Amino acid sequence: MTLPAGDLEVHGETVARPPEAERKAIAGRSPTRIALDRLRKDPIAVVCFLIVVLFAAIAVFGGLIQDLLGVSTETVRATDVIHPVTRLPLEGPPTGTFDPDHPFGVAPGNGTDNLAVWIEGCRTSLYLATVAAVLSTIIGVTLGLIAGFMGGIVDSIISFATDLFLTFPFLVMALAISPILNDRFGDDTDKLRFASFYSLVAILVVFGWMGVARLVRGEVLSLREREFVKAARVIGVPTHRILIREMLPNLIAPIVISFSLGLPAFVAAEAGLSFLGIGVFGRESWGQTINAATTWWEDYPLYLLEPVLGIAILVVALNLLGDALRDAFDPKTRR
Amino acid sequence: MKRTNALVAGLSAATLALTLAACGGGGDDDSGGDTEFNQGGTSAGGKNPTAVGPAPELEGAQEGGELTVLAPDPDDGPTSLDPAALWSVTDNGIAQDLLFRSLTTFRQAEDGSYELVPDLATDLGTPNEDFTEWRFTLKDGIKWETGDPVTAEEVAFGIKRSLDGDTFATGPGTAYSKPYLEGGDEYSGPYADGENFPAVTTEGNDIILKFGTPFAEMDYYSIFPAIGPVPLDASQTDYGLDPLSTGPYKIEKFVPNQELVLVPNDQWDPATDPARRQLIDKYTFKFDVNPQVAGETVLSDAGNTTVVTALQATDYNKARDEGLEDQILVGPQPCTGFVMPNYEKVKELEVRQALAYAYDYESIWLAADEVVGVTLANGVTDDSLGFGLLPPGMAGRQVWNGPDGEGISFDPEKSKELLAEAGYDPGEYEVSFVYDSTTETAEAAAEQRKLSYEDAGFKVQSYPYGGGSLYDVWTNPDHKLYKKINLLGTAWCQDWPSAATFLPPIVETGSAYNTGNFSEPAIDDEMDRIRSLPVDEQAEAWGELEQTVMTDYQPVINTGYYQNIFGFGTDIGGFANDISVGGAPDYRSIYIK
Amino acid sequence: MFAFLVKRILSGFLTIMLVSMIVYALFWYGPKSPALQLCVQETNGRCGPTSPRLADYEERLGYNNPVYEEYGKWVKGLVIDRTIMLGKTPYECPAPCLGLSFRDKTLVSEQLKDKFPVTVSLAVGAASLYLLIGVTVGALAARRRGTLADKLLVSSTLVFSSIPYYLVALLSFLLLTLNTSIFPDVAYTPLLDNPAKWASGLLLVWLVMGIFGATSYTRYSRGAMVESLSEDYVRTAKAKGLSARTVVVKHALRSALVPVVTIFGLDFAFLLSGTVFTEQIFDLEGIGKWGLDATYIQDLPVVQATSLVLAVAVVVANIVVDIIYSFLDPRVRLS
Repeated sequence: MTLPAGDLEVHGETVARPPEAERKAIAGRSPTRIALDRLRKDPIAVVCFLIVVLFAAIAVFGGLIQDLLGVSTETVRATDVIHPVTRLPLEGPPTGTFDPDHPFGVAPGNGTDNLAVWIEGCRTSLYLATVAAVLSTIIGVTLGLIAGFMGGIVDSIISFATDLFLTFPFLVMALAISPILNDRFGDDTDKLRFASFYSLVAILVVFGWMGVARLVRGEVLSLREREFVKAARVIGVPTHRILIREMLPNLIAPIVISFSLGLPAFVAAEAGLSFLGIGVFGRESWGQTINAATTWWEDYPLYLLEPVLGIAILVVALNLLGDALRDAFDPKTRR
Repeated sequence: MKRTNALVAGLSAATLALTLAACGGGGDDDSGGDTEFNQGGTSAGGKNPTAVGPAPELEGAQEGGELTVLAPDPDDGPTSLDPAALWSVTDNGIAQDLLFRSLTTFRQAEDGSYELVPDLATDLGTPNEDFTEWRFTLKDGIKWETGDPVTAEEVAFGIKRSLDGDTFATGPGTAYSKPYLEGGDEYSGPYADGENFPAVTTEGNDIILKFGTPFAEMDYYSIFPAIGPVPLDASQTDYGLDPLSTGPYKIEKFVPNQELVLVPNDQWDPATDPARRQLIDKYTFKFDVNPQVAGETVLSDAGNTTVVTALQATDYNKARDEGLEDQILVGPQPCTGFVMPNYEKVKELEVRQALAYAYDYESIWLAADEVVGVTLANGVTDDSLGFGLLPPGMAGRQVWNGPDGEGISFDPEKSKELLAEAGYDPGEYEVSFVYDSTTETAEAAAEQRKLSYEDAGFKVQSYPYGGGSLYDVWTNPDHKLYKKINLLGTAWCQDWPSAATFLPPIVETGSAYNTGNFSEPAIDDEMDRIRSLPVDEQAEAWGELEQTVMTDYQPVINTGYYQNIFGFGTDIGGFANDISVGGAPDYRSIYIK
Repeated sequence: MFAFLVKRILSGFLTIMLVSMIVYALFWYGPKSPALQLCVQETNGRCGPTSPRLADYEERLGYNNPVYEEYGKWVKGLVIDRTIMLGKTPYECPAPCLGLSFRDKTLVSEQLKDKFPVTVSLAVGAASLYLLIGVTVGALAARRRGTLADKLLVSSTLVFSSIPYYLVALLSFLLLTLNTSIFPDVAYTPLLDNPAKWASGLLLVWLVMGIFGATSYTRYSRGAMVESLSEDYVRTAKAKGLSARTVVVKHALRSALVPVVTIFGLDFAFLLSGTVFTEQIFDLEGIGKWGLDATYIQDLPVVQATSLVLAVAVVVANIVVDIIYSFLDPRVRLS
């Protein structure tokens, strides 16, 4: 499993300080503004953005959409909809034709509606990825700021911790931690639902902050030596004010980029971990559906393809959007 | 006997508990089984003390060819081939059929049933009157693969090793040698406590065994490789990696949990062996194979000399669609799955009976990835199977068809009636159970089960458990979940075809797998009485007792008898289900066409 | 140089120690007793969390001793032969002793000898493939920068590498191994037993890993080449009248390889520590699958061993990368 760490590092190198000349030429507009203008003119970015918005809408209004389409994840009596020997649905795909009551078909074995499960899976993926990306960005930015600005022993400790976390066997740790967190609440359905979700978030965050931290630290190291920061120090502005008022606004680009590249990485990670058996409990998830659907590949390929396409399209769109964002923020690229 | 290593861990939870089993198979099942599949034998017959080698001629059998056997995940095969450690269906199937001879063994008789015959011993042993002493005589001319003769001392040594409960904790010795042999619980095997153990002695070619607890079934127990020879210089811990063979094949290569290659043993003399044959030139066993790959291999041309020990349900469908029925054998396993209401909490007989009508057998099986009437079956899919405790094929078994003798099916109305008789309105009586939260199928099955109980007038509470085997909860009264639930469960397989290895573990007071804590003094007394009956009257008495227990108390709800789906290539002949080891391919009769 | 190496080795050693301690502690203090697996397995599951049987197994395995004492024994076993007692049965464990697997009571070090070649075979094959394809294609694209071919290549690698790897592997397995017989027998055969079978059995896996990995290397090396081709010294070289070939290969490529080597070093270390998804999906018995299976059943000695392999691989790779760095880029001096 690769978290965005490796990627971010490389990207970081390209997010360099714009040369003096170029900055003068575009004076008068904030970098964020420029970036947004550039993005608007990038067709790929616009398409990806629309796709992401679509998925986000599905996630946010999932319940409403299900009601509208008349589908739900409720348990149905299996023998009513499933053939007892082939265990495939009696109506709809793969043996029958399109079934308007169940546009995506129903699951083999237990007969739950696929579309409803798919929508709920989309919710889980995006919700989880967003929470994880926000948290890991906050942690990464904070540690990076502190390390870069304080320097010295603090920097050494944080940098060592960053290296240490990169060295940890991520999957082994994930597999070890998740039962610990789950077991505390193992006997209560609601608590377990909550715990399994946040333990997964915790795992993703614990192993996802290092890239951001390194990136921010590098930026801060160079910002620290800039005139406006030195000036602020000379006139006695307190450290926390310098960090928040002077440094942070200049870090918007790397933060936005790492956040937007973190999202797809976490979506993919959630699916990958579900595939290995560390999943969320009590929620539908694309990864879990994929896991269940691989054995049905030959008899019922649609069942597997639905979540696979969901993940692939969402992750590709998010990644391309993140890349476009990076290019837009990077003054070196010309379009 | 447990089903397989991996199954105990994995089955652990879901499969065992929630699903069911089945046997019988699709014959008169109007919903599904319109295709006739081969049905493996279910019965294990009597004893044949006079059988002698060589094994009976097998019609159409041919010699030569190489056979590959794939055991799909989660069956990871033997971790060790030490005779004292072998106690699972897969491992014993291989070891007993091909590698290790023991004092007695089962063989397939001409009518297809399995009969107990002498193997290393000249007969089935001679017990004294109260079964506290058994005497076996070793045949002459038995050799190790090295050509050295097998001696009575080596057999005695092997039996003594089976008492080493520390080293061979997975072995059958912990369940039989230690509790029954005189002083067995005190003696920890020849390595720890020396070779002097008065309960196992030799006298010329005779092996004499003395029992502290009367043991009428020593002749059956002697089918285990643990009751066979081991060289006197065998290592305590490593012998299982490179053991010496006495059977028709010897080990060429053994990688624990991955691969085992067997080649013919030229020191094996067919004239001394009434059960085994040497038809194949080379056996290659592969364990923990990807189930999809295994299925794909055996049903395609690539696998014409391949056997798969457990096909997935999807492969079953494929075989059915493509007309490959000839390559499938549905093999019953002597195992039954149960829901066990806690006898102290669910006191009313009517409620326990209602639970049997409230279980939506087919829906729950479907959600649990079982093929209805094939991998799991009971009276719901085949009237001839019934809903009793004992698996089909057991001597003395009678079909039990529900309290009214009219069979059982998912019947919410009947369940509500029974609840009303017990004085409960619909939705008043709460049942609660625990399920495995780690797999999708187990969760789906639990949802089906909840739905069906609700339809049948119960209030339902289900608890997820992700910490491992459900037995962790069911067998531990201190577990926090144990205190919350009133429905437990178990799945049990026979060790040999005698109800004495089946009824007491499930319904005797205090037995470990009696997870519902069923306890009736009258039943306990009856079991003691049956054990003291003459051997030939016992089977029938056990069968009667099963009927009484089920009708008068309904301590368990039968959730199905288990069956395996075997797959084999087009060039394979003589394929049979060896019920005597618990449902594995009979490697002694397979040949390449 | 020497001082730097000593410092790096010391800090690497510290990292390895910390990783192994934390992994040990996680399992030791985890919700499930580390003795549970052996107990469940050997007693047909009759092993409740508070049962006397479990207590007995904990005693046999030493889990009622203080954690530091048992960890100390484990560390000591790495250098000195030890005898492990399970109850009354002694198991000889020659140094380097990694303990006894709870699953089958065999020596972990012996199993490691079986599993490591599988993973090394995978890693070497896949890495050579993606390095070769990635750098060649990337360098060629950089030279034709801006052409249609370049743009197509860049966008297709971007899309392809955005798809989560495990989906690529899973679909390749389902389509190429299960559905069709293009690559019928994915399996590991030791190289020395049968070199042809070794290669043919792993070919599909190499291709999947190699092509997927190559996409990101194409992007890295293209970016690095573009940058170095515009450097002054390359212009100087061109001005001197050196042939285009010499300029590209000797001057530009050499410095362009620096960032590629950094990433490659770390990637390769992660490959060595277990290609978990690949091994899981293609059913290959390497370090990754071994470690994964061991975490499922709390097989602490095996988990410890796999974490150790990973930590050592990552740390060593980091140091090696730094050294190679100094050879490739004359501007870098180790200090």
